[in-house]
Amino acid sequence: MTARPHLRLLAAFLAGLALVSCAPHPPAGATGDAQWFGSLTPPRENMLRFNNGVEPETIDPSVMSGQGDGRIARMLFEGLTSNDPHTLTPIPGQAYRWESSADGLDYTFHLRAGLQWTDGAPLTARDFVYAWRRVLAPATASRSASMLYPIAGAEDYNKGVTTDSSTVGVHAPDDTTLVVHLAQPTSYFLFLTTFYTYMPVQQQCIERWGNTWTAPAHMVSNGPFSLRSHTQAEKIVAARNPLYWDVKHVALDGVIAYAVDDLNTSTNMYKAGMIDWNPSGYIPAPFIPSLRHYRDYQTGEFQSTYFYSINVTRKPYNDPRVRRALNLAVDRVAITRDLLKGTRRAWGRITPDGYPGYVPPAQLVFDPVRARAELAAAGFPGGKGFPKLKITFNTSEDHRRIAEAIQAMWKRELGIDVELQNMEWASYLQTTTALQYDVARRSWIGDYLDPMTFLGMLRTGDGNNRTGWSDAIYDALLRRADHEVNAATRMDLLRQAEARALEQGVFIPIYHYTTHELVKPYVHGIYHTALDIHMLTRVSIDPEWRQHVPIAAGSR
Amino acid sequence: MITFLTRRLLLILPTLWVIGTVTFFLMRLAPGGPFQSEREIPKAAKEQLARMYGLDQPLGVQYGRFLYNAARGDFGPSYKYPQRQVRDLIGEGFKVSAELGGWALLLATLLGVPIGILAAVKQNQAADAAAMGLALAGVSVPNFVLGPVLVLVFSLGLYWLPPALWTGPASRVLPVITLATAYVAYIARLTRAGMLEVLRADFIRTARAKGLSERVVVLKHALKLGILPVVSYLGPAAARIIMGSIVVEQIFAVPGLGRQLVNGAFNRDYTLVMGVVLFYAAFLMLLNLLVDIAYTQLDPRVELR
Repeated sequence: MTARPHLRLLAAFLAGLALVSCAPHPPAGATGDAQWFGSLTPPRENMLRFNNGVEPETIDPSVMSGQGDGRIARMLFEGLTSNDPHTLTPIPGQAYRWESSADGLDYTFHLRAGLQWTDGAPLTARDFVYAWRRVLAPATASRSASMLYPIAGAEDYNKGVTTDSSTVGVHAPDDTTLVVHLAQPTSYFLFLTTFYTYMPVQQQCIERWGNTWTAPAHMVSNGPFSLRSHTQAEKIVAARNPLYWDVKHVALDGVIAYAVDDLNTSTNMYKAGMIDWNPSGYIPAPFIPSLRHYRDYQTGEFQSTYFYSINVTRKPYNDPRVRRALNLAVDRVAITRDLLKGTRRAWGRITPDGYPGYVPPAQLVFDPVRARAELAAAGFPGGKGFPKLKITFNTSEDHRRIAEAIQAMWKRELGIDVELQNMEWASYLQTTTALQYDVARRSWIGDYLDPMTFLGMLRTGDGNNRTGWSDAIYDALLRRADHEVNAATRMDLLRQAEARALEQGVFIPIYHYTTHELVKPYVHGIYHTALDIHMLTRVSIDPEWRQHVPIAAGSR
Repeated sequence: MITFLTRRLLLILPTLWVIGTVTFFLMRLAPGGPFQSEREIPKAAKEQLARMYGLDQPLGVQYGRFLYNAARGDFGPSYKYPQRQVRDLIGEGFKVSAELGGWALLLATLLGVPIGILAAVKQNQAADAAAMGLALAGVSVPNFVLGPVLVLVFSLGLYWLPPALWTGPASRVLPVITLATAYVAYIARLTRAGMLEVLRADFIRTARAKGLSERVVVLKHALKLGILPVVSYLGPAAARIIMGSIVVEQIFAVPGLGRQLVNGAFNRDYTLVMGVVLFYAAFLMLLNLLVDIAYTQLDPRVELR
C-alpha cells in the first residue's frame, strides 16, 4: 500500500511556522474538559466527520491503491468478508459462510440470500466474477491487480499471457455460490477477500457510464453507506444505505470525509471541532509529544517499517560486507529516542511486529566494532578509498533529520563521506525505480497480516524490489513457502528468508511505525488496528456522552 | 478602439502558443511520469494507461494533439483523476478561487483606498504615519504567518470562526482577511503616492481657487487621477490574487485553482497543469487588456491605438 505525500513540501514548511503558534500545551494535572483536545461539541447531525487526507485518486475499488482511497471503498462497498473492527480477522460480509479444501487450493463462498445493490438490483455471485475479471483485465489498468495473483490463472490473464478471462479460477455455479481455485495454497487468502480489490462492482453501471460510473449520480455500490456527493479536493459525503443487509447495525446517518492534505490544518480542524476523528498520518510529528497527554489521543503499532534500501547493482554496494558495515553502523535507538522523541520504535528487521504464528529472526543491532571489521574486510579499512555515498530521500523535514543523523554515524563509525540528496516525490520514485541511487529512504505498509506482504518485495525482479538484489537462496526459500500447506513449516521458511535478507544487508531497517490518531470522546467504535484500517459500519456518535464517559477523579 | 482590441486579442494567441509550448516540454522534461506510484503498477497496466492517454506516441504527435485540443479549449480527462475532465476541474476550482480573490480584492480596495487618501490628505501628520506604519506591517507580514496566527486566535482560541474549508459564510472570513491584508497595504501606499502627486497639480490649485470644498476637491477631482496607479495595479493584482492564493488555499484547505495547479505539478498530471497554466495566462492577459481600456475612461490623456 502506498502513502502519497504530495503537498508535504509546502506543508512541511507551513508546519514549521504553525508549530510556533499552534502547538498545544500539555495539560499538566488537567481536569474536566482540559483532558480533551479542543472542542467537545458533537456534530448537529448524526454524521461522522473525518479527514481522509489527500484527494482520493479514484473511488473505484477495483483500480485504487492508496490508503485514503481504501477508506472510501470500505464505506461504500463490502466484499465476501469484512474485518473485525478490533483484530481485522475476516468476518462474514456478503458471504455468510465459506469452506476450503484440505489442500488449501479451493474455496467455496456462500452469499447471503436477498443481497441488493444500492439501485435495488439483486447482487449475485456473478457480480464477483465480473469484478475480479475486471480487476485483472489489462485494459482496466488496476494498480492493485497483483493482490489477486494467488488465484489460479490470474497473473497470466493480467499480464496478457492469455486473453481468455474464463481461465481465471473464479466461477459462479449459481447466484449465491462462488467457487475460487487458487494457484497455490495461500494461508492469508481469506484475509485478501476483505481487501478492496476483491470488492464487487456492478457490470451494468460500469458499462453504462464508463469512466464516470463513480460520479455520485451514477454510482451503484453495496456497502453500509452510499455515495451522496463528491467535491474535488473538498469532501465526499455518504449516507446510510437502507438496502445494506446489516443496516440495522449501521448507527450513523452518514459520513463526511474531507480531503485536507495539510497536517496542521487537519489538526486545527479537529481542535476546532470541525472533524470528529483525525486519522493517523495527519498530525504533525512535532505535536505528538504534547498530544500524548490528552484522552482523545490513540496510538498503537502499525504494520509498516521505515528503512533505507541499498542499490546492489552499484559498486561497492554489490559486496554484502559493505552493506553489512553500513547496517551495523546505524544507531537506531539514538534516532528514535533523541530525534523522534520516542514517537517511533527503533527497528532492526524487515517485517514489522505482530504477525500471528511468525517467530521472527533476531533484530540487527548497532555494533560499530563489527561494522568497521566488515568494511575493512571489504577492502576499505577506516573508510579509505570508499567512494562518496549519496542518500536519496523524498523532501521532508523528518527524512532530512534522519538522513543527517545517519550521515554523521557513517562518518564517525566508518569514515565514509555521505552526501544528502532530497527530491520531490515523482522524481524520487523515478530515481529509485530506475536504480539511480546509492542508498534511498523507503517505507512499506503491509497489505495483509502475513510476513509475505514484506518479504515478497525482495524476490528477484519484483516490481517493489528496487535494490537490484537477486538471491537464489532467498528466492528458493520463498518458493518453498509458497507451496507449503503446513502453517508452522511455512512460517519457519519465511523466518529463514528474512534472516537471509538481513544477513545480506539489502535493507537497513530504521524504525517501526506507530499510529497516532485523535478521536472525540462522543465517537464510539473507532479502534486502533494493526493495518490502520477502520470499519465505520458500527461506529456511533453519542450526543449525551458527558453522562456516559467517566470523568477522571478530582475533576468537576 | 476596435482596431486596438482586435490587435491586442490577436497578440494573445501567439503568446498563449509560446507559453503552452514551453510548459508542454518543461512538463515532459521533469523526471517521473503520471502513472508512477510507490507500489509498482504491473507493466501491462502501465502500457494500457499510456495508450489510453496517447503517451505511447512520439513526442511530436503528442505535441500536435495537444495544440489541436488546446485550440478547442478541451484538455481531456485529468491523468490523476481520469473520471474528471480538466475543463470541469478548472471550472470548479476557478469558481472558488475567484470568489476568494474577489472578496479579498474588494476588501483590499475598500480599505486600502480610504487609508491612502487619508494618509495623503494628512501628509506628514500623525494619521499619515499611523496609516503608513500599518501598511508597512501589512506588506511585511507574509500570509503564511498571518493565516496561522488568525487561526490560532479566532478558531482555536476563541472558537468563533472555522479554521478551514469553504462551507458557509463564516469559513470565508479568515482566508479572505489573510489574502487581503498585503493588498490593503499595497493599495493604500499606491493611493497615497498617486494622490500626493495629483494634489500638487495645477488643476487642483485651480479647483481650490474656485472655492470648491476640500471634500469635493479631493474626492471628485483628485481621486479620479490619483487612483490611476491603483487601477493599473488592480488588473495584474486581480490575476495574482485569484491564481496566487495557493498558500492561503493550502492553509485553509480551500478547494481552489491554486491547489489544483500545485497538486497537478506534483502528480505530473500533464493535462491538468497545461489546462491551468493556459487558463491563467489567458486570464492574466484579458485582465491587462481591461486595465488598458479602463485607463481611457479615467484619464482623457490616454488614447488607445
